[in-house]
Amino acid sequence: MRASDKAGEALLAVTDLSAGYGGMPVLRDVSLEVRHGEILALVGSNGAGKTTLLRALSRMIASDGGIRFAGRDLAPMTPDEVFGAGLVQVPEGRQLFDRMTVEDNLLMGAYRRADQASVRGDLERMYALFPRLGERRRQLAGSMSGGEQQMCAMARGLMAKPQLLMIDEMSLGLAPVIVEQLMEVLATIRTEGVTVLLVEQDIHLALSGADRGYVMETGAIVHGGDAKALIDDPAVRKAYLGL
Amino acid sequence: MDLFAQILVNGVLLGGLYAVMALGLALVWGVLNIVNLAHGAFIMLGAYLSWHLYTYLGIDPFLGLPITAILMFCLGYAVQRGLLNLIVRAPMFNTLLITFGLEVVLTYLAQIAFSADFRTINPSYAGAHISLGPLVIPLARLMAFGVAIVLTVGMWVFLLRTRLGRAIRATAQNLVAARLYGVEPRHLYAMTFGIGIGLAGAAGGLYGTVSQINPYIGATLTAKSFAIAIIGGLENPLGVIVGGLVLGIIESLTVAYVGATFGDVASFGVLVLVLIVRPSGILGKTA
Ligand SMILES: Nc1ncnc2c1ncn2[C@@H]1O[C@H](COP(=O)(O)OP(=O)(O)OP(=O)(O)O)[C@@H](O)[C@H]1O
Ligand SMILES: [Mg+2]
Repeated sequence: MRASDKAGEALLAVTDLSAGYGGMPVLRDVSLEVRHGEILALVGSNGAGKTTLLRALSRMIASDGGIRFAGRDLAPMTPDEVFGAGLVQVPEGRQLFDRMTVEDNLLMGAYRRADQASVRGDLERMYALFPRLGERRRQLAGSMSGGEQQMCAMARGLMAKPQLLMIDEMSLGLAPVIVEQLMEVLATIRTEGVTVLLVEQDIHLALSGADRGYVMETGAIVHGGDAKALIDDPAVRKAYLGL
Repeated sequence: MDLFAQILVNGVLLGGLYAVMALGLALVWGVLNIVNLAHGAFIMLGAYLSWHLYTYLGIDPFLGLPITAILMFCLGYAVQRGLLNLIVRAPMFNTLLITFGLEVVLTYLAQIAFSADFRTINPSYAGAHISLGPLVIPLARLMAFGVAIVLTVGMWVFLLRTRLGRAIRATAQNLVAARLYGVEPRHLYAMTFGIGIGLAGAAGGLYGTVSQINPYIGATLTAKSFAIAIIGGLENPLGVIVGGLVLGIIESLTVAYVGATFGDVASFGVLVLVLIVRPSGILGKTA
């Protein structure tokens, strides 16, 4: 079944998820769903727990509660199994392999793929999507500009052929032109069947590029719904957009 | 002048062997952040394995190297999976203690199993040599040097070009990202340690063709491997070739001009000097 046939159904369903660090709770009963083929924005201020949620979803930290993804229960899985299931994140701070080339970074994205034969072709597709990376394929990832590094991190994530790509703080520290380019890339990959969970502090940016959104505050979801409606919601406008 | 050239040749040949000895130690150190004090003991085991293959099964020590390396790889994989994975992220002090304990145990077991007698692997070509003008090049040492260079360059290509090699480098650089991108660290660490011990086994097999073996050679070999890894750095396997050659040449100069018993003293002098002058190694980063 193609992704578009499932449009509107839940790809990821999180129910009553709680998590924290060493006994200190951060997330409190978080429930949300990501639907097939959508761009979902998860927004909230510093320390709200967005990154913590992504860590729990990738099983990098322990949590209580339900995580169902594409019909499977992720809760008992290890990070590599979650990755293998098609839930891939572009982590906060990019976390590139700094002393490896751009191309090696992209190839690491495809490390676990079963269809190693088609990896070469996908590399070229990434270079078409991000021409700057194509010019710099032999450059060490750590020596590139912030924008180029973010492109590299996103391309590495896409090389994994994810069903759901979770991107943490995509726009942080980048010039508006670059951010605009990256948002266009998200729109492109969505047409190719990749669902996107976009985590941002820049609430206006995230909500204007997304279909739906959730607002997180001190470890809990406080608003949720259609992205356009959220932007217009007086409570959200007042608290986050300073309007 | 001829004598000096001969000493240099000896040093270079020895240096190749030293490079393979250090190769596995540097790999494990760089990726797992474990300074394996039992590394030399694994070299010793590899040497005995090679000796047994030759003495009881008549397998030529060079042709037997793949067997030795594969068996030692399996041992290394098992040791990492069963023991060292428990302490991978422990403080350096704990890993030193555990690997030191391992060195003591392996040496003790070797002494019981193989006795403290000196052993030599003596294939028919053991005494053969090639004469290049005034220079004499022992055939076995030349072959060991050749194999050492092939192994080291092979390791370099493996890390640079293969899927597993890339994952090993990635894990060494950024463990969190590697885990997020599908690396299962326990397996990857065990593969890495297995490869390191497989290389130690091969180094042991080569050592056995050019030198005498007894159960106590491990500690000195660990220390030399450590010095070479420091000189060459941990990032690039080709660094250990430089480190091995530096140590090999200095040692053979010392043996010739100072005295046979000063060879090991010279290695440690080099180690101390490098640590003082260039704590990050001659060629690059050590961590
Ligand atoms: N590794 C950690 N150990 C302990 N506490 C942590 C750790 N990481 C985050 N926290 C705490 O958890 C809370 C939520 O942090 P988190 O990084 O999830 O927020 P965030 O919404 O991603 O914020 P930002 O927008 O600044 O990235 C914060 O109070 C933070 O101090
Ligand atoms: Mg965050």
